[in-house]
Amino acid sequence: MLISYNWLKDYIKGKIPPAKKLADLITMHSFEVEELRKIDNDWLFDIDVLPNRAHDCLSYLGIARECCAIANLVYTPPVFKIKEDKNIKISDFVCVEVKEKELCPRYTARVMVDVNVASSPSWIQQRLKRMGLEPINNVVDILNYVMLETGQPLHAFDLDKLDGKIPKKIIIRRAKKGERIITLDDKKFQLDRDILVISDSKSPVAVAGITGGKKAQISKSTRRIVIEAANFQMKAIRRARQKLNLQTDASLRFEHEPDPNLTLFAINRACWLIQKYCKGKVAKGIIDFYPKKVVPKRIKLDLDQVEKILGVKVSLGQIKRFFKKLELKILNYNKNTLLVEVPTFRQDLSIPQDLVEEIGRLYGFDKLPLVIPRVLALPPERNDSVFWEGMAKDILKEMGFCEVYNYSFISDQDAKCFSFKEKELIEIENPISREYKYLRPSLIPNLLKNVKENLKYFSEMKIFELGKIYKKPPISEKRALTGVILTSGSGIQNFYYAKGIIDLLFAKLGISNVWYDEVQPTPEESKISFWRPKRCAEIKTDHTEVGFIGEISKKILEKLKISFSVVVFDLDFEKLQNLCCEEHEYQPISRFPAAVRDLAVLVPRQIKVVEVLNKINTAGGSLVRDVDLFDIYEGKEIPEGKKNLAFHIIYQAPDRTLRKEEIDELQNKIIKALEENPEWEVRK
Amino acid sequence: MERINFSLLRNKAEKEIKRATDLEELNVIFKKYLGKKGIITQILSSLKNLPKEKRSKIGRQANLLKSIIEKEKEKREIAIKKQIEQESEKDESIDVTLPAKRPETGHLHPLTLVRRKVEKIFESMGFCVVQGPHIETEWYNFDALNIPKDHPARDLWDTFWLDQKRNKEKLLLRTHTSPVQVRYMEKHNPPFRIIVPGRVFRHEASDASHDIQFYQVEGLMIDTDISVTNFKGIIDQFLRKFFNRKIKTRLRPGYFPFVEPGFEIDVQCFICQGKGCSTCSQTGWVELCPGGMVHPNVLKAGGLNPKNWQGFAFGMGLDRLAMMTYKIGDIRLFYNGDLRFLKQF
Repeated sequence: MLISYNWLKDYIKGKIPPAKKLADLITMHSFEVEELRKIDNDWLFDIDVLPNRAHDCLSYLGIARECCAIANLVYTPPVFKIKEDKNIKISDFVCVEVKEKELCPRYTARVMVDVNVASSPSWIQQRLKRMGLEPINNVVDILNYVMLETGQPLHAFDLDKLDGKIPKKIIIRRAKKGERIITLDDKKFQLDRDILVISDSKSPVAVAGITGGKKAQISKSTRRIVIEAANFQMKAIRRARQKLNLQTDASLRFEHEPDPNLTLFAINRACWLIQKYCKGKVAKGIIDFYPKKVVPKRIKLDLDQVEKILGVKVSLGQIKRFFKKLELKILNYNKNTLLVEVPTFRQDLSIPQDLVEEIGRLYGFDKLPLVIPRVLALPPERNDSVFWEGMAKDILKEMGFCEVYNYSFISDQDAKCFSFKEKELIEIENPISREYKYLRPSLIPNLLKNVKENLKYFSEMKIFELGKIYKKPPISEKRALTGVILTSGSGIQNFYYAKGIIDLLFAKLGISNVWYDEVQPTPEESKISFWRPKRCAEIKTDHTEVGFIGEISKKILEKLKISFSVVVFDLDFEKLQNLCCEEHEYQPISRFPAAVRDLAVLVPRQIKVVEVLNKINTAGGSLVRDVDLFDIYEGKEIPEGKKNLAFHIIYQAPDRTLRKEEIDELQNKIIKALEENPEWEVRK
Repeated sequence: MERINFSLLRNKAEKEIKRATDLEELNVIFKKYLGKKGIITQILSSLKNLPKEKRSKIGRQANLLKSIIEKEKEKREIAIKKQIEQESEKDESIDVTLPAKRPETGHLHPLTLVRRKVEKIFESMGFCVVQGPHIETEWYNFDALNIPKDHPARDLWDTFWLDQKRNKEKLLLRTHTSPVQVRYMEKHNPPFRIIVPGRVFRHEASDASHDIQFYQVEGLMIDTDISVTNFKGIIDQFLRKFFNRKIKTRLRPGYFPFVEPGFEIDVQCFICQGKGCSTCSQTGWVELCPGGMVHPNVLKAGGLNPKNWQGFAFGMGLDRLAMMTYKIGDIRLFYNGDLRFLKQF
């Protein structure tokens, strides 16, 4: 809310602090002053009125009351008396019917005749302009002026433009489906039953609490006017405003529940000003539909509670002074408890804690001391999720990976590109753009985009992300740990490098027995898979699949315009965490020498190395400490369809030096085991 | 045997030794005099043929010359070695100003680093680290936090809603970490103190200081008599430890439906030191952390009796802390995966 310093002074008596000082006080005790601007000989405050005080502080009087409370000044609201013309009666001109009592708890109206519509006085025009409002004519300007002053939105109709015979009928009802209205600024709107309207006997003349209609607009020729000061239900105005997508100064105020008791003061203030500046006579009487009167609330406040919440003792005298400034009436003081009556313009105050806040902020939160609480010296419980996430991140960092954070969303284009199934994707009902249409079902799409962008500056990269992915049905979220590797080596080299990363990661997380299983996709699966066929594997421990490793399919890379092979590992971090183990026992280092024997075996090409390794280990038993594949060869000198695998076999015992005969025996046992398979041939 | 001129021989040998430029030459000269067939060696071996009186005289002179040559040779040898050393040092010299070759290391995201720092400080004060889901129900995100449906206060949180054709219960992306307050209260008995770091989402236009996702650290401390002054004490300790110096802060009124009283903690602008600049929109202060005393309705929603328990809650912006720490001007840098940025941490 913009507030002019000079205008504000109209309602304050006493020595007002200079603008800068006042702005500081308002910030520290009421609302943040976002900006203080000097304009001519005036200061303009841009005050960020808090939502719970918008019902009384989107007004000069509200802000003036606050200033008087926080700077110890005297609040002086305007005093006036209107003159009604005894010869004309309101009931002769207009009658009001409120059909929706829930949505319109109060409707106050007055009629004025012989009004002279012209430009408003220059001081009113100036004040409105400073607040960013365009002057229109004296009647409309005064209504706007009173709204700014009191916070009560007002509206006026040209009585003669209303349909029907005198006394004209004003009806507050829901709009009929398909009904239309043209507003004051010539916009056309289609209405429905969710929208409350002010109607004459024929058609709507205003959208209640939001904007007036063109039909009964005040113009130069207007002589007789109906002035409305109403109170509408916050939810109804909010719904209508959202439906019409139309926010106005009036709707903003009605959405924050202004005091229903304000209408009378505001309408009289407006009539008084119109009488003064536009001539005209006020018809005798007032229409005031107000079936359920809002009365002041009462709150019991225990002074011990004040101290317990704030942490300091504020004296009763001080509390009394604060409350007096805020117009909170102390009805009773008994056994350290105050019975407080809250004026109806402070609807935000309803429980004792609300009053504690009033005391606290007038005392000054900033002035309260800093006190370290006395608590049990219990160490905090460790959060395993956080612990293992941190561990995994550190391990990858040690291996030279760079951590990225991506958005939790993917675009509809990504969804298509990666062939994610639509029924498994969680769609955002109100996405900010198509770029962020779905929640990410995998970390891979955004990581590949990172690769694409970074290829402008880097030729090699190792990046990872540990974050949530989202799937349905049922709607669920879980953590994934996904890494991308791109080096100057070939795709195959990258694959084995990535496999090494996984081996090391698992070992450091205390997970043993990780193995890699070939993927046997159905033709349909492989068509939509984003993994390159035959260049990917399931990562397993025992029989659980914990993730995937492989090259990204050429089709996807082409779509993303990445011309290098990219290897990705994608782990289910929830599963992984369950396997993590902190226990770690050291293996004694044997004091006895190790012996190395080489062994080369010729096997059919499709035989997996792991099959050969298993044979060697089984046959060799516990004295084989390690088997190291040091060469794979196919081609010249090797029979067609075969490959040669060469191993170092390391023999060692923990408790003695192995004798030559012993080693020979084991080696022969291994050879024999390998040659059990007729197609395998150990080269001698 | 002809007469030997020892002094001439001595002069000659000394001259030759002095002239030797490398060890090899020196060795040849040395051998010429003292080798198996060297001049002096020959003299000494021919002594036995001389008469007794001559033998002792010449023998003495020859031995003297021998020791002189040995000494001279040694001296020269040291000199030559020194010279060689100096020369070779000249060849080995490197240009220490050439660019360094750094080992390739990994990098953690700045938000991970800042988050760890925050967690460590709060853990040292006995706070547990707790987490919660990103996808929330309307109840936990709003209703339980005293933000009723159709209330204008809901406009404070622009929300991403999930599209559910059939589901009745409305789901959304949490707009703050505060739902975890209620989730935690439901399962734990006070007293407790927790922090909840995590990702949150807002349906907002993004700019240098706003993005559609960011990180918050929720704090919650509940006991029988935790007060506003305790809140100030804890936050002050945190800021001191985090920034490692005294930080100027101010506590002013704020409004959040789930606290009462509610405040906003501002810190003096880290760019302009309070003079006023574009980062702080000329106010000299930057909003750091809203907080307040947990509203009785929230305690009730979590199953706690507000008559017995009270305490504070706050929600710090992790991105903002990171921006202050590293003087980063644009929040979007955190989420675009640019390695030129990430490799700086």
